[in-house]
Amino acid sequence: MTRRSAKPKPDVPYLPEQHIEQHVAVLLAQFSDARDPITKPPVPIGDIVELHLRLTYEVEDLKALFGHPDVLGAIWFKEKIVRVDRSLDPHENTKMLGRYNFTLAHETGHWQLHRHHYTEDPNQAMLFGGRGKPAFVCRSSQKPPAEWQADCFAGYLLMPRDLVLPAWEEWRGSIDPVCVDELPAVKFRPDENSNQSAALEMFCKPLAAHFEVSAEAMRIRLEKLGLLLREQPNTLF
Amino acid sequence: MADIAKPFGRMLREKRIEKGFSLRKFAELVDLSPTYLSQVEQGKVVKPPTAERVKKIAELLGESADQWIALAGRMPDDLSKIIRKEPEEMPSLLRAAEGLTAEQLRALTNRAKKMKGKDND
Repeated sequence: MTRRSAKPKPDVPYLPEQHIEQHVAVLLAQFSDARDPITKPPVPIGDIVELHLRLTYEVEDLKALFGHPDVLGAIWFKEKIVRVDRSLDPHENTKMLGRYNFTLAHETGHWQLHRHHYTEDPNQAMLFGGRGKPAFVCRSSQKPPAEWQADCFAGYLLMPRDLVLPAWEEWRGSIDPVCVDELPAVKFRPDENSNQSAALEMFCKPLAAHFEVSAEAMRIRLEKLGLLLREQPNTLF
Repeated sequence: MADIAKPFGRMLREKRIEKGFSLRKFAELVDLSPTYLSQVEQGKVVKPPTAERVKKIAELLGESADQWIALAGRMPDDLSKIIRKEPEEMPSLLRAAEGLTAEQLRALTNRAKKMKGKDND
């Protein structure tokens, strides 16, 4: 999923993916210590946001609030408020559950990674629904570094390695990867790379449903873990 | 016991968090959309949840259904029926009782129960 902030944002320091994964591991460990250990998917992202991090969580018409048709979520650091756009409400449209969870996890990423790098503008205090100016407005069209980091955080948070690997093994019967050339070919997209992505996403849909994420998010995570391949690995024999 | 000085939505959010329900989980339990529940909590809805729904909310949160229905600006279904049965006398009784202390109201309730008991004898 790609996003971008609506307004110029402060620079955030470069973070390697490994560090982001470590941030997630710390958060999950703290949540497990404070509440219930997470032993199987889905990761209870609502509990993490509201009950553990104590952020106020609201569902709102953000598209109307910000005047952009592609706003998915926003976060107000000072007020500790996370808002998700009502178009993602899974009660209204069950197909949106994955994007709803991902957006909530994405905003959690901003909270965990970026809140110390951002000072809110006091002159904008009463704009945007009486909540002041949000720190990040997350849209579906571009991806500056902070948005990329929050996406990465969301992927690790909703699909942690310790849950994905056992789930894959239970589903597949082994931890062997699957290559796209073993799957039914997809030809409806304009280029080979997109067709491969579509084939992999159709394949991993059952696991995505298990983790309550989109097939796209699941495919990206499984490719990172080396469980979905686009080429057969080179072997000596 | 609910803090009647607080708006219904704010109290609902506080109690929901206190009892360990996330917004989506609680919305599922009471069969509402997270969007609507969030709007209720923010005090942004024109029509509050129905009395039946508020009763379910109060039960899940371990609160008094009657008190929460009143706080939500609704009337319990049985009260509507009672008033419809005595459309003149019952509102008159309520108006007469308005302003009495909680203790006086309890005494009046006990007196009414005794009167009903005698009628049933």
